[in-house]
Amino acid sequence: MIRPDEVKMSVEETGKWGMTINQDVCTGCQACVAACAMENNISFVGEEDSGYGRSMHWIRIERFWEGEYPDVRMTPQQPMMCQQCGHATCEPVCPAFATVHSQAEQLNLQVYNRCVGTRYCANNCPYQVRAFNWRDYQRPEPLSNQLNPDVTVRRMGVMEKCTFCIQRIHRAQDTAKSEGREVMDGEFTTACAQACPADAIVFGRVDKPETLVAQITNNGRGTKHLAELGTLPHVTYFKEG
Amino acid sequence: MADKKPHDEHSHEEEMRKKHLMLDPLPRGKMNEMVMEAMLEKPTWKFWVVFLVLSFIVAYCLFYKWYVLITKGQGEAGVMRPDYWGIFLVNTVFWIGISHAGTFISAILRVFKAEFRRPFTRIAELMTTFGLVQAGFSVLMHMGRTWLFYWLIPYPNQRMLWPNLHSPLTWDLLAITTYLLSSTMYLFLPLIPDVAMARDRSTGWRKKFYRVLALGFRGTEGEWRHLHNAMNIFAFAIIPVMFSVHTIVSWDFAAATRPGWSSTIYGPYFIVGALHSGMGAAAVVLAVVQGTMKNMKYFVRGEHFDAIGKLMLIISMSWAYFYFNDYIVQWYGGDKWTRIMLHFHEAGPLGWMWFTMLIVNIAIPWAVLWNAKWRSNPWIISVVGIGINVGMWFERYLIVPVSVAINRMPFTWRLYQPGIEVPMGIGTLALFILLYMMASKLIPFIPVWEVQEGQLAHEFKKFGRETVVSVSELE
Amino acid sequence: MSEQVSRRDFLKLAGLGAATTAILTGCGPASRYVKREPYQQMPEYNLVGQSTYYATTCRECAAGCGLVVRTYQGRAIKTEGNAHHPLNLGKTCARGQATLHGLYNPDRVQGPSTGSWDAGIQAVADAFKKYKPSEIAFLMGMTPDHLYDLVSDLAQSTGMNAPLRYGALGMFESRATLSKAAENVFGQAGLPWFDVGKAQIVFSFGANFLETWLSPLAYTRGFAGLREKETKLRGTFVQFESRMSATGAKADKWIPIRPGTEGLVALAIGRLVSEIRSGAALPAFANVDPAQVADEAGIKLATLEELASMFVNSNVLAIPGGAALGQTNGLEIAEAVLTLNALSNNFGKPGGVYLSALAPNQEGTSRPASPIEMYDLVEKMKSGAIKALFVHGVNPIFELPKTLGFEAALANVELYSFATFPDETAAKAKYLLPDHHSLESWGYQRVATGVALPVLSGSQPVVSPYYDTRATADVLIAAAQAAGGKFASALPYKDEVDFIQNKVASLVGDASGSFSASDTATFMARFQQYGGWFRNVESLIVPDASKALYNPVKTTKPSFAGNGEFFFVPFVSPTLAEAGANKPWLQELPDPTTTVMWNTWVEINPDMAKELGLANDDRVRITSEAGSVEAFVYLYPAIRPDTVAMPFGQGHTAYGRYAENRGANPADLFGAYYNDAGDLAFAGMKVKIEKISHAVKNGGLSRMESLMGVYGEGLGGEEH
Repeated sequence: MIRPDEVKMSVEETGKWGMTINQDVCTGCQACVAACAMENNISFVGEEDSGYGRSMHWIRIERFWEGEYPDVRMTPQQPMMCQQCGHATCEPVCPAFATVHSQAEQLNLQVYNRCVGTRYCANNCPYQVRAFNWRDYQRPEPLSNQLNPDVTVRRMGVMEKCTFCIQRIHRAQDTAKSEGREVMDGEFTTACAQACPADAIVFGRVDKPETLVAQITNNGRGTKHLAELGTLPHVTYFKEG
Repeated sequence: MADKKPHDEHSHEEEMRKKHLMLDPLPRGKMNEMVMEAMLEKPTWKFWVVFLVLSFIVAYCLFYKWYVLITKGQGEAGVMRPDYWGIFLVNTVFWIGISHAGTFISAILRVFKAEFRRPFTRIAELMTTFGLVQAGFSVLMHMGRTWLFYWLIPYPNQRMLWPNLHSPLTWDLLAITTYLLSSTMYLFLPLIPDVAMARDRSTGWRKKFYRVLALGFRGTEGEWRHLHNAMNIFAFAIIPVMFSVHTIVSWDFAAATRPGWSSTIYGPYFIVGALHSGMGAAAVVLAVVQGTMKNMKYFVRGEHFDAIGKLMLIISMSWAYFYFNDYIVQWYGGDKWTRIMLHFHEAGPLGWMWFTMLIVNIAIPWAVLWNAKWRSNPWIISVVGIGINVGMWFERYLIVPVSVAINRMPFTWRLYQPGIEVPMGIGTLALFILLYMMASKLIPFIPVWEVQEGQLAHEFKKFGRETVVSVSELE
Repeated sequence: MSEQVSRRDFLKLAGLGAATTAILTGCGPASRYVKREPYQQMPEYNLVGQSTYYATTCRECAAGCGLVVRTYQGRAIKTEGNAHHPLNLGKTCARGQATLHGLYNPDRVQGPSTGSWDAGIQAVADAFKKYKPSEIAFLMGMTPDHLYDLVSDLAQSTGMNAPLRYGALGMFESRATLSKAAENVFGQAGLPWFDVGKAQIVFSFGANFLETWLSPLAYTRGFAGLREKETKLRGTFVQFESRMSATGAKADKWIPIRPGTEGLVALAIGRLVSEIRSGAALPAFANVDPAQVADEAGIKLATLEELASMFVNSNVLAIPGGAALGQTNGLEIAEAVLTLNALSNNFGKPGGVYLSALAPNQEGTSRPASPIEMYDLVEKMKSGAIKALFVHGVNPIFELPKTLGFEAALANVELYSFATFPDETAAKAKYLLPDHHSLESWGYQRVATGVALPVLSGSQPVVSPYYDTRATADVLIAAAQAAGGKFASALPYKDEVDFIQNKVASLVGDASGSFSASDTATFMARFQQYGGWFRNVESLIVPDASKALYNPVKTTKPSFAGNGEFFFVPFVSPTLAEAGANKPWLQELPDPTTTVMWNTWVEINPDMAKELGLANDDRVRITSEAGSVEAFVYLYPAIRPDTVAMPFGQGHTAYGRYAENRGANPADLFGAYYNDAGDLAFAGMKVKIEKISHAVKNGGLSRMESLMGVYGEGLGGEEH
């Protein structure tokens, strides 16, 4: 087992903010999906478009089947969201610099107002976690009252994706700064992790060994999806056991 | 010609003359007249019907539908997760491919001094420009926020924001722009003596129009020398541009992190594919020009179709080589996702497309084009050419929306179902034809000076009792 | 906060809300008793750039989880779980998250049908006077809340019919059966509570405890505990059911048994275990023959033996629930499964079975009305014994099976609806007097189960009412005053808040709770600030099971109505439940098992479908003897070939633009058959399936999953 403090790793490799997902306790209840939609002003797209792969979910729960009836099993639910790769394949391909790497937070940013909608980033994302605004999806009044003022409302023709609730990160950092301290572990978390009834999602600083998320990440039992592509994802998954 | 009798000298020469434009000279004035006649011929009602129908298609399918697309969003098209790219990019690649034949014919054949090229360099060069217009339109249609396309152009701006030079799309944009500009100039340079000729032979608004275009060309020796120099430079310079353009287009795919796309052979494979569809299209255009425009039977002959047919056959073979080279290495690589994707091409719901592609791109050209008689027939070669273009469009369709249906996240796989792209694609085709129709009425289609230059260089010479054709070096 | 703050403190703090500055506020924007302040001192909820957080209680289901709602300039922005609330400890489910889509739904009822509230109140008062008290009935939502108390008081002192609480979730949970089974096995009625979190092995007989069952958040937390308690091995979970539920999908072993044989299987396992342990079958299990049971349940005897040997080595927590109880022999099944626990001797022990604690100001156990009690109500409506029906918090036309004839019976009564939403029942109301949305309301709610502590969960408005709605408690109090006489004296309160204060008065000064306050004003302020009051004493009731093993358990066979060839298993959609269909984001949440959005499907075993010539997205008609519905086919790999299943939650004919005319309601297929506890035998139907039309391109179910990627459909054969 290699720990970040034992081996010198690049900052892209360790990341700063990270997440762990325990698939063994994830029940697929969709609370994270709903929480994410509510926090991040995600549009709903209606029956036809959602059935045609145009839903705007920033997080989706995948599951497959194993075996044949009667010995059939559902594979452990697998919440997929932006893996906030250290070497993200979405970043270099954007011609307009709308998909950029945040050096400060080690996150993949999506600059909505810079996006011209070539959709190259989504095409190039091995995790297929980017959502495109195929239309100007409507929120009939007064539904817009619910919009989170901390999150930009996206319009037609731009790409969007999970941000690790960067608005919450910034708010916590601002608060900590005004109080002259560092952001503490557990002080805030992402909307999905906060809602998760089974605590399957843990979020925090993976680069600080004492945090809960770093301890889980570094316990040696997790896997990173498609790590063989060299994307350096910052979400670690744990299967059963 | 072993069976030819020596005393049949005269008829042999006659036959050669009939076959080869270069050996069948007419006076410059006569040829000028013929070209002007072809251009100024009063359009028939058929022309107008076709023109109006195409105009309607362009207005409705291209522009009105584009308006709908822009106001309602890309949801009108068939794109979704995981098929973020659809027919718009298929069309982009297709039209860029078409445009390649023009440059190939006018630049490479010029550089290599292939004499048969002379009458149809302009027709081919127009294909480059008009094809690139459609490619440009298609890529703009593809963008989610088309109205901000200029953000991709490196222009100095207040925020010091430049396009991302890491992105293959930026390379693409630069390459296509370079190609469009250089091919337009390269179209224009050899046009100068012809518009000067047209200027001298027309009146009214046409005279004014050609006067502007002719840039005061009078045909002095100095002017000719400059023109030749410029054309030489361009002919050589545009060849790497042409190669780079489609290589870079291929990098949009090859540089991506997708199963089936990451192939080192995509560059040359795409270029050959482009030439494949381009030569097919050139044959079709040439046949149409020969069949519909006045006096063109003199300029465009069986020998030209024969020559294009040979090129098509060779290109078809090269394409087959590249296709299977790519396929077999991808398949042999054994990557799980690539294997599923390749299998999906053949056995999936669009398997018919894959088989059709192989038949029209390989089987039919190989079966037909080996025969000189068949390939010299404008009808036969047109059918083969149309087939190749359909096949090449299918090939791009398989590479873009069909391949991206398969990725590393099986939970998201989905088959693409086109929407508004279909009418808009038809709109680009209509605009392409419409531009040709308009050009046929505005631009001398045959570079008379170039034909004459060739004819002057060709002559029959007697070696002993044998009459042979000799070509003298002009430059 | 300059000194060192421990991580624990911060975890606590983080739970309060998204930001550390969040201070829960006791007085919301809709405060009743207004104090004038100079304009320079803006109320905190009006400060630009600053969020305020209010604790309240989630009303999306009857569980009673605590919420903290973030508001910003008077608008509710986000709901989070209340970390102080012992039931959900800061967590929420998808429905709790989407509650704002109810609050700001474009289709809410915007004002009273009477035009003015005075006229509406007068109408209610007139009804009180016009009819004899015995002719007036109240039908309310499942939640035991302050309004239920208010109406109970009113009914008690005026002689009206005691209010009935009902909800479709309660019907599908078969609460009456659970309570009755507890009574039969332990001699004490009550809602059983299963301590999944501390168990080592869980056998669930149909219980869908990770979805909508009783208290889904508490059980999900328990499940997480079962899987990964640091001090013990990873717990094992076995699910017995004929159709794999979202709960069954998490099981280590999923055992598809024939519907209605759950009790037999439990007893057979009990017999095998007791034989291994003591060499002889205990009296409770003497009636069954394992080999015969295996045959009837459609499983192998070896499977039963394997399960029995698991049981012998380690104690097992057995849970009855879901469709197992919705059989004609549901009560016997519940009793058999509860009895199986006696072999583990786990009653009142960690990882075992308890009866739920009573809430702080609760006197005895009370449960929602069972369907047979609802049937009595309908009969009374039909016969004219009831002439005025007041409905609040429930949509009986949708939530009661059609076969009970509620809708037709409405013709005989004057209907007063207090619905916030134009649902099917509200559409039939003579008077529609909309209540506030729950996030605009005062109140309290008793937590019925899911937590060891007695919890009284508090509600307060987090935003001012968006429309011209009025609290039903206020309407009733005002109407009672207007009606005068015994009505006025039954509700001698100024308004709703006055009533609530009166009701919680017994807790003021109580030192055993999460906070104590010596006067009502302070108590109420804290009550709202913390989102409730709970006694810090674990009060789960330990059942007495001393006789359980020695009374033979009945093994009645289930009977199935109708002559169809398939068992019919309806289940509650885990994301929509009974009242989520009007919220667009809930509609767009993929179902946890099928990933379908926005519609209704019928699950069929793929092999059986092949036999019937059915494919995915084919349109079929499902017919029982009670009725028929149409749905799309979903080839579901984890369902018995002799069973079909359908989700409940869609099929509304009203209820706003997102719910209307979407999908089908499987409850239309239910017949009027009951088990011995009076719960509906909703899974006791047999149905026929006939194909109406082939799947059409782009016309089928909206799925999140890929048919190609997950099932290899349309991928081109074997390769996948």
